[in-house]
Amino acid sequence: MAIIWSAMLISGLLTLLLRFGGDAAMDALLLGAAEAVTLSLELAGAYLVFMGLTGIVKRAGLMEQLTKKLSRVTGALFPNAPQAAASITMTFAANMLGMGNAATPFGLAAMQDLQKNNPDPRTATNEMCTFLAINSSCLQIIPTGLIALRQAAGSASPAAIVLPCLAASAASTIVAVMLCKILSR
Amino acid sequence: MQNLVALISGAILPVLFILALAYGLFRRVNVYDAFTEGAAEGLPVLLRVLPYLAGMLMAIRVLRESGLLNALTNLSAPLLSGVGIDANLLPLILLRPLSGSGSMAIVKELMSTFGADSLVSYTAGILMGSSETIFYEAALYFGSIGITKTRYTIPVALISSLVGVIAGVLVANLTY
Repeated sequence: MAIIWSAMLISGLLTLLLRFGGDAAMDALLLGAAEAVTLSLELAGAYLVFMGLTGIVKRAGLMEQLTKKLSRVTGALFPNAPQAAASITMTFAANMLGMGNAATPFGLAAMQDLQKNNPDPRTATNEMCTFLAINSSCLQIIPTGLIALRQAAGSASPAAIVLPCLAASAASTIVAVMLCKILSR
Repeated sequence: MQNLVALISGAILPVLFILALAYGLFRRVNVYDAFTEGAAEGLPVLLRVLPYLAGMLMAIRVLRESGLLNALTNLSAPLLSGVGIDANLLPLILLRPLSGSGSMAIVKELMSTFGADSLVSYTAGILMGSSETIFYEAALYFGSIGITKTRYTIPVALISSLVGVIAGVLVANLTY
């Protein structure tokens, strides 16, 4: 991450300075960071709602039952992280249903659970890498946003992309899982 | 069909809330207290995430405004059209791992320029619907637990994303 991130900044800033000068470079830096604040506020809403709901579920005693049932689903993919199996299942389910930004709190909860067993808290574990790689390969089954976009643009069959999207997503997910299995040894 | 899915995923959270509240009240739990206590547990995570998001969104904006992505697009256009990938798709392919909203804007633009049912727009829709905003997600998820050494996550995500792009273009050409 450090290498990629600094490469982006160094190349970007140098180019900005040479092409448009210091003001443009400063603006890009400041506005970019400001975007993060706005985005955090948006995420905060969804996250607070989710965490509040979890609080109720926990105190009502439903959490343990839910956890046991859900951990069976993805336990096989993540054998070394049984404590996170339930939240991982929920994250994948939320993404498959296309909940988008609303699925983020589930993912954050899964990361917290995965961090519990982490011997080196600043370094990603194999399970974390696998979890994120799978999430980043797009699990959404029906791309509702895109179908709506195509419909609005006047497409004759907006939903024609569904099966092709599934095929492409499946390809990337399979490759992600395979690569992670190899690199986890 | 997609309306049904959209309907269901929209209703899940509200329904869960009703069920949780009802069950909590039945179990004589102070649901208001439980909610606020749970929500408060989320605050440290939000604060922890902010610097990571700031760093990543800053870097992405700098990269986009510098025009380097455009330069990269122009450079790789001849190469990729030789492999059968429309040069108009390049900005989308390059921007997708960096920005979701920017990518959507490109898809919209392609649709209005070439028509919603052109091969380019069809392919763009497929590529968009089978990919994620890799860098933003990595910064967000890892940042929420304070992890800076992400090891093989991003390379694997990028490689599998590339496979997805190739598969997407292939399927698009086959099914158009």
